[in-house]
Amino acid sequence: MTGRRWLAVAAGVLSIAIAGVRPAAAGPNDARGEVTASCEFFEISAKTGDKPAIDGELKRVEKKLKKPPFSTWNQFKLLSHSQKSLAKKKAEVIGLKIGSATATLVEIVDKSKVRLTIAIDDDKGKQVATNTTTVDAGDFMIYVHPLANNEGHLLSWTCN
Amino acid sequence: MSAKSDLELMEHADGELDDADVAARIERDPEARAKVDAVKQIGELVRGHLELSADAVHDARFAAMWRRVDDQLVAPATGLWSRISGWIDRYRGHVITGAVSAGAVAALALVLRPSAPDIGVRTRGGGPIQVREVALRATPEIDSLDTPGGSSTVINLDDEDGHTTVIWVTPEDTVEGI
Repeated sequence: MTGRRWLAVAAGVLSIAIAGVRPAAAGPNDARGEVTASCEFFEISAKTGDKPAIDGELKRVEKKLKKPPFSTWNQFKLLSHSQKSLAKKKAEVIGLKIGSATATLVEIVDKSKVRLTIAIDDDKGKQVATNTTTVDAGDFMIYVHPLANNEGHLLSWTCN
Repeated sequence: MSAKSDLELMEHADGELDDADVAARIERDPEARAKVDAVKQIGELVRGHLELSADAVHDARFAAMWRRVDDQLVAPATGLWSRISGWIDRYRGHVITGAVSAGAVAALALVLRPSAPDIGVRTRGGGPIQVREVALRATPEIDSLDTPGGSSTVINLDDEDGHTTVIWVTPEDTVEGI
């Protein structure tokens, strides 16, 4: 094999080696490997009526809403639903019909849990709750804020 | 004069016979001398003709070779693509060798590379966080909770779908919603 042929082989090997090794070397905080979590947010209004009614879009939390402490109400309506890809330490606004909320991914724990900070304000901008919780992917968090007219305002989230 | 004498004269003229009697005869016999001279002239003529023929053969061969070279000569490449294709033509063997080697290394890299990036680290188009079996999941852990202007109650619910943590915020003035 001539010198030039060896050179071509070496160039090919080098380029492939670089291409193959680079993704493996990229760490969690590498610019190309952004840490994100996909989270869903359900804003729910709850009240008591003559007949039980749960929106079909709430199927994922329906079973939970039929049990205490939610059995205070029997009618649940989805006010808003959003899916967000949360970047680490970047506050993301969650659009709500009533009030506002932000979600921040603090970190991913053990590859299967998310540590999220949720801040909720009411429709007058008054802070209702700020909470940081570590939750397994697939599990749910539900914030409940009872209203004066015996209605409830719920915000539920889960990540995967 | 006999045929043998003529033969001796021809041999003498060609330098093949060095005989004193023949030489003496040529000296004293003008006819013999004329024959020898004639033979020498004919020999020179023949040699000259042969040499010319040989030269003509070489010229013909060279002409044929040059024609073949001319036929195979291509106009010099001027465009970028022509240069690239010309380069590839010249180094086709090298290019093929390099490509085959790169393919082999790529196959090795695919086989030997780490199985997957860390789950939960979503690269562009990457996979989601690992969702474990319900039995393996831990109860959600509240790191901090602040409910200004109200009180809170934390309730953990477990079912076959996993854990659900409820944070029930009761405002002191139960007038406003979230």
